Amino acid sequence: MAMPSRTSQNPHGLRQIGLDQIWDDLKSGIKHVYKRQSMARTRYMELYTHVYNYCTSVNQSGQGAQQIPRMPPGKKTKQPTGGAQFVGLELYKRLKDFLKSYLVNLLQDGQDLLDEQVLTFYTKQWEDYQFSSKVLNGVCAYLNRHWVRRECDEGSKGIYEIYSLALITWRDCLFKHLHKQVTNAVLKLIERERNGESINTRLVKGVINCYVELGLNEEDPTAKSPSYEVYKVHFESPFLEDTERFYNRESSEFLRQNPVTEYMKKAEARLMEEHRRVQLYLHDSTQDVLAKQCEKVLIEKNLEIFHCEFQNLLDNDKNDDLGRMFQLVSRIQDGLGELKRLLEAHIHSQGEAAVEKCGESALNDPKLYVQTILDVHKKYHAMVITAFSNDAGFVAALDKACGRFINSNFVTKLANASSKSPELLARYCDLLLKKSSKNPEEAELEDTLNQVMIVFKYIEDKDVFQKFYSKMLAKRLVQHMSASDDAEASMISKLKQACGFEYTSKLQRMFQDISVSKELNDQFKVHLATSGDPLDIDFGIQVLSSGSWPFQPSCSFVLPQELERSFQRFTAFYSNMHSGRKLNWLYNMSKGELVTNCFKNRYTLQASTFQMAVLLQYNTGETFTVQQLQESTRVKQDILVQVLQILLKSKLLVTEDDENDLQQDSLLSLFSGYKNKKLRVNINVPMKTEVKVEQEATHKHIEEDRKLLIQAAIVRIMKIRKALKHQQLLAEVLNQLSARFKPRVPVIKKCIDILIEKEYLERVEGQKDMYSYLA
Amino acid sequence: MADDMEVEAEREGCGYQKNDKMFTLKKWNLVAMWSWDVECDTCAICRVQVMDACLRCQAENKQDDCVVVWGECNHSFHNCCMTLWVKQNNRCPLCQQDWVVQRIGK
Repeated sequence: MAMPSRTSQNPHGLRQIGLDQIWDDLKSGIKHVYKRQSMARTRYMELYTHVYNYCTSVNQSGQGAQQIPRMPPGKKTKQPTGGAQFVGLELYKRLKDFLKSYLVNLLQDGQDLLDEQVLTFYTKQWEDYQFSSKVLNGVCAYLNRHWVRRECDEGSKGIYEIYSLALITWRDCLFKHLHKQVTNAVLKLIERERNGESINTRLVKGVINCYVELGLNEEDPTAKSPSYEVYKVHFESPFLEDTERFYNRESSEFLRQNPVTEYMKKAEARLMEEHRRVQLYLHDSTQDVLAKQCEKVLIEKNLEIFHCEFQNLLDNDKNDDLGRMFQLVSRIQDGLGELKRLLEAHIHSQGEAAVEKCGESALNDPKLYVQTILDVHKKYHAMVITAFSNDAGFVAALDKACGRFINSNFVTKLANASSKSPELLARYCDLLLKKSSKNPEEAELEDTLNQVMIVFKYIEDKDVFQKFYSKMLAKRLVQHMSASDDAEASMISKLKQACGFEYTSKLQRMFQDISVSKELNDQFKVHLATSGDPLDIDFGIQVLSSGSWPFQPSCSFVLPQELERSFQRFTAFYSNMHSGRKLNWLYNMSKGELVTNCFKNRYTLQASTFQMAVLLQYNTGETFTVQQLQESTRVKQDILVQVLQILLKSKLLVTEDDENDLQQDSLLSLFSGYKNKKLRVNINVPMKTEVKVEQEATHKHIEEDRKLLIQAAIVRIMKIRKALKHQQLLAEVLNQLSARFKPRVPVIKKCIDILIEKEYLERVEGQKDMYSYLA
Repeated sequence: MADDMEVEAEREGCGYQKNDKMFTLKKWNLVAMWSWDVECDTCAICRVQVMDACLRCQAENKQDDCVVVWGECNHSFHNCCMTLWVKQNNRCPLCQQDWVVQRIGK
């Protein structure tokens, strides 16, 4: 502001101006200001000049100190008390008295008002007063800048800038006497709004603004951040109490008359409403505490009711309500724990129930079994995403529950083996990947395989799955039963991704062998063609590398002479091509076709090698005893009996004895009346014991393989650690193998003993439970 | 379709009814497994089964080239293991006889 240069007196001169000289005019001006009448700029300047003149005049109090006007505040020199003083105290006192009497008068007008009237009065007066005080503060700027600042710097208590003085005076003279009515009126108004009436929010906002403004920091008037103390003490805490009371009453009443689902909607709406209330007309600092208070009353107090309802909602699949409850309860710290627990228990029981519902049929219906599991997973996976925002805790609950019911359920108990789940899953894969009339489209198949991987993730005994899967893959490959090479490769790469290279390396080797065999076949055909001595039969060969395939060499027998020639030609060809190799024949996997000349029609029989060997005997005679057949073919007795039983069942052979109880001397003859609708007949059905023995053997092998894996893990760990306590070793072994299977502790102990015996490890002498590694 | 062809073939075949054999062999698909013709199926140098590639070849993804070698003493090892071995000691690690290659697998 420009300095009042229009005064005739020299502003820098040392003159004496008594307070009385200016006060009357100043006072009338201030009165004018507080009436909120418009004021001309010149009049304002006049008032300012009065204050300036007074402040710059020589101190009339007789202390004789010199007054240096317009001293820059920063360069002020500290003076001992009684030294040079800025003039101002008298003016300050008079201003204070003026404000006091102004407000005392005002109070009389408002004292008896209540409710909205008091609010209207209070807010109106406050706005006027605040404005006027700001003007007054401007008029007294010079006083503020010099005398007040100096006093404050010297630590005088109770001296404030004029605006602050006005606030404090308001607080002491008006607020103090009126705040109860005002606060009550505000709270009443808010309650009315909560009850659905519309209110004049401007009144509330006005009061709140006043309370916030009054919260100046008296200890340190220059502090930037106000303390909000008045607001907190005189409004916020009664407001919070009121809120608690209100919602306590409302929620218990509402819950008595309405279902919990309705209550949750109400609570959600109320929380939103309170949030908006703060934004609209309360102070921002209230947002969090109010939300906490509401959450406490609306949610936390009713948590138990929520928990009970949660189960109902789950039972009825009310995803929307579940979502709402999740959103509400997630506001409470640690509130979700119980919900997660309930969800896990629910999914687990639903999964078990679903599997049990399939009953015994699932034991031999892999598709039913896997689809049942997937349906449960799909349903609750969707629920976790939509209702529970894919919250990590709820995902974990889903995973835990699925892991539990997939590895242990009605079917696994029925089979008395937890390894039933991986077996059925592997069999389901076989169904999907095997050539059949029901093979799905490529995209659909890929999708289904991805679903299979979901279940696979939860399987504990991944090694069992591997065993069964490789067995069935081997069969698919050798018998050319794969529906699609792409699908096979895709599945293997999925398994590789889930379990690593080692898990699938043998599967990949098998794949490779098949293409190598194809080449070999072609080469052999070329060899035959160029030799000028072709074979009289269509001969095909597959040579697999042992070690990668889950096959056992079959027992030997006497090759019928019809087969002998091609057999010899091939072995000669092969040993010429390779050296140092020996071949083991898998006759049980080999098969061929025979053409019949003895029946009404010319049939083509697709038969196993053993079946062929038996049938070709009948080229030399019509009837043989079991013993004769055994001597001429040298097929092992028990296998031969099974082969014969199948031939009897397919009505190619007949006997007068009981076909299920064949004796050495039972007579078997060709049935000349053989008939079949088809001309191509597949008589190569798997032998019963073959299937059963194979499954049992697979389960038995697994135990043996696990022991080796555990030993290998122990050696790996000990090689790194050199010495380790028993418990730590157990923990590390469990950790290393958990991706494959869950080793049982007694088995690990046994493996440790084996390794000590083999001198891989030794017990450390003098230390309990300590092992060390022997290099 | 296939069946139709069979019927066709059968009608043609009526002329051969005099075939005195009850069954004639038409097709045979044989399955075999090969393995190295060795006495001990573990390579004494690297302790890996000879049917699998030695660790060096596994690491370098040369599984197909990892073959077996037999000495005059009839002991067998991975060929790559043995070539490294003889650089230090030209004796069979199992029987200490001078190492002479009898044959190399293929």
